[in-house]
Amino acid sequence: MTKPRLTRRTFLATTAAAAGFPRPLRAQPKTFKIGVVHPVTGPLAEPGQACRLGAQMAADAINAAGGIKSKGGLKLELIVGDTQTKPENGRVEAERVVNQGAQMLMGSFDSGSTSAMVSVAQQKRVPFLIDIAAADPITANVAKSVKDGEQKVQYVYRNFPTGSSFGRKAVQYFTDIFKEANVSPKRVVLMYCNDLFGQNQARGFQAAHKAANPSWEIVEVIPWPEPPSDLSTEVSRAKAAKPDVIAPITRPASALLLLPEIVKQRIEMLGIVGPGGPGLYEAGQLAQLKQNLEYVMTSVPWPNFKNPKTGAAAEEFRKRSSGKTFDTNSGYSYDGMFVIADILERASSLDDPDTIVDAMKKTNYSGGLMNYGGPIVFNEVGDNANAIPTMIQILSQKPVAVWPREAAVQKFIFPRPKA
Amino acid sequence: MELSRARALIPLLSSTGCSVDLTLVGQGLISGVLFGGVYSLMAVGLTLIFGVMRVVNFAHGDMMVWGMYLAYLLATHAGVDPYAGFALCAAALFVLGLLIQRGLVDRIVDAPHEMQILLMLGVALVLENVALMVFGPEPTRVTSSLATATLWLGPVFVDVNRLVAFAVAVALTLALSTFLFRTELGRTIRAAADNTYGALVIGTDVRRVYAVAFGIGAACVGAAGALVSSILPFQPPTGLSLSVTSFNVVIIGGMGSLAGAFVGGLLVSVAESLGAVFLKPSLKELFSFTLLIVILLFRPAGLFGKRAS
Repeated sequence: MTKPRLTRRTFLATTAAAAGFPRPLRAQPKTFKIGVVHPVTGPLAEPGQACRLGAQMAADAINAAGGIKSKGGLKLELIVGDTQTKPENGRVEAERVVNQGAQMLMGSFDSGSTSAMVSVAQQKRVPFLIDIAAADPITANVAKSVKDGEQKVQYVYRNFPTGSSFGRKAVQYFTDIFKEANVSPKRVVLMYCNDLFGQNQARGFQAAHKAANPSWEIVEVIPWPEPPSDLSTEVSRAKAAKPDVIAPITRPASALLLLPEIVKQRIEMLGIVGPGGPGLYEAGQLAQLKQNLEYVMTSVPWPNFKNPKTGAAAEEFRKRSSGKTFDTNSGYSYDGMFVIADILERASSLDDPDTIVDAMKKTNYSGGLMNYGGPIVFNEVGDNANAIPTMIQILSQKPVAVWPREAAVQKFIFPRPKA
Repeated sequence: MELSRARALIPLLSSTGCSVDLTLVGQGLISGVLFGGVYSLMAVGLTLIFGVMRVVNFAHGDMMVWGMYLAYLLATHAGVDPYAGFALCAAALFVLGLLIQRGLVDRIVDAPHEMQILLMLGVALVLENVALMVFGPEPTRVTSSLATATLWLGPVFVDVNRLVAFAVAVALTLALSTFLFRTELGRTIRAAADNTYGALVIGTDVRRVYAVAFGIGAACVGAAGALVSSILPFQPPTGLSLSVTSFNVVIIGGMGSLAGAFVGGLLVSVAESLGAVFLKPSLKELFSFTLLIVILLFRPAGLFGKRAS
């Protein structure tokens, strides 16, 4: 009797088959798989981990409430990916999660890796909801290639303010706040981290300033290499420009350098007002920078704490992250997952990515926990124009929404009191 | 004379779009020199390890990050200021260096360079990711009693934090130099570095020498880490950029030369600081890396390096 021999050929054929070739023939899966990619390790690990937890919390909440009801209570299953804060890994991880069966993608915090994920979404026809990433071209480029007929369908949509909308809103908030405070600062010094995010934010702010032509000037623009090892000379330059207001666009590590340096060099000014960037409000940053952050304002996407559901989510987030604050990152990833659930509820079928995209385009969702300017709807380039930032300020060592008026939970303090 | 030359430069620089302000230049020089002391100390450790056993320690920056985290632990749990705790950090890193050398590096001292590089990169990855697991991803910094202390000299100021770090770094480099040139063990280390075969012939325990040298190199970078832990925010991935800066300093100064590492550290730091004054600050690293290229072009072995025979 001869034993059946496992040849290399049979081995390859069997593993290939198991790995996914007959996927279309498989029975309808019991879960809907979503690839959730963020920078969970590397320099952006902190926000990346917050995003992942936000998404997981939302998926758990959706599943606990009965899943996707119109699809027989279909449950969501997250296949998580980590870009390691390397832009090129956006593509690698997106491919991996799609090969593992992800039917939609969500991610990925930094614009570099998000751009890399876009190519996978478009090539493999996987609907992709960007939860966080601000660079304008990410969606605009896809929309243009669809318009020009190079690609048939746009699979990429974004529920997050774009760099240019950040800029427009920041200039508007600056002007409003100066007016409301009855002061007229003239000299604003813009300082920013010189990576894709910082450049994009700074460009958006400068362009919006030029377009709005307010009564205050940007008298000096100081970029620094990110991550910086020293910002003393940069701050000396800012001081030499005699600023009324310093407008910093930071990352957490650079904020830890910048703010103490501003204190050390004793710059006399009305205040620090950021056009938008991380590092100026997170619990970890507050624990370290303490008084250096008091009265600092920054324009960031912010949860709507007037909504009682937000408080509950923040409490759950605090427990599951051992004490962290529910903010921009966790909040937008949380909302992103609920937007996906809403899309899946409305899609006529989940087998064809194009029907999911049809539902995506018709999104009109108002259940988000963040502060929005209206319901979540996607415009012609796939962005939600109602995703707007809020001006927050550190008051008594806590970040609170202070502007626009309808989002404010407390009155801002500007100019900051003299020490 | 120097001042008039500097003044003569101003219109030239202004015409090329550079902004110049003499106070800023003075401030840049002071900040550069003070921070340079720390660059020097971290490069001294790297150059010692390379000089003695010809192994390029790619885990150098990550060892420094561990020095920073140890200073952080000492400060947060025992209330020890990093300027007092640096000796403990150096001692702990000495032991870590000794263990890495005995357990890993010793096996590949004679292996081709690419094998050594792979091993050291592996060590770097392990150190970084263990730090990520233990301390989490958030950037942090140590609060020192000197954190915001400044001395004002007219329009320019001296950051006391940096002044102390600089003084300690210079003292440690001098102490190391005295140790290498004036003690028996120091002389043995130099002998093993100069001619391993000869050292073996006269009965030197070269393995022990290597372990001690690696330990001292690690201790230097551990001390440097503790000294900057209140100046420079750090997180587990910070190690890579610190390694790159150390390599830059060591190559400019000359691989294996202590004096080179010291001067190189000051040069790189001043170049970056003045780069931030004369150019856009985001281009300041252009200054230090251009310096690297220029020195490699005209003195391939570095400022104080011996030409390869």
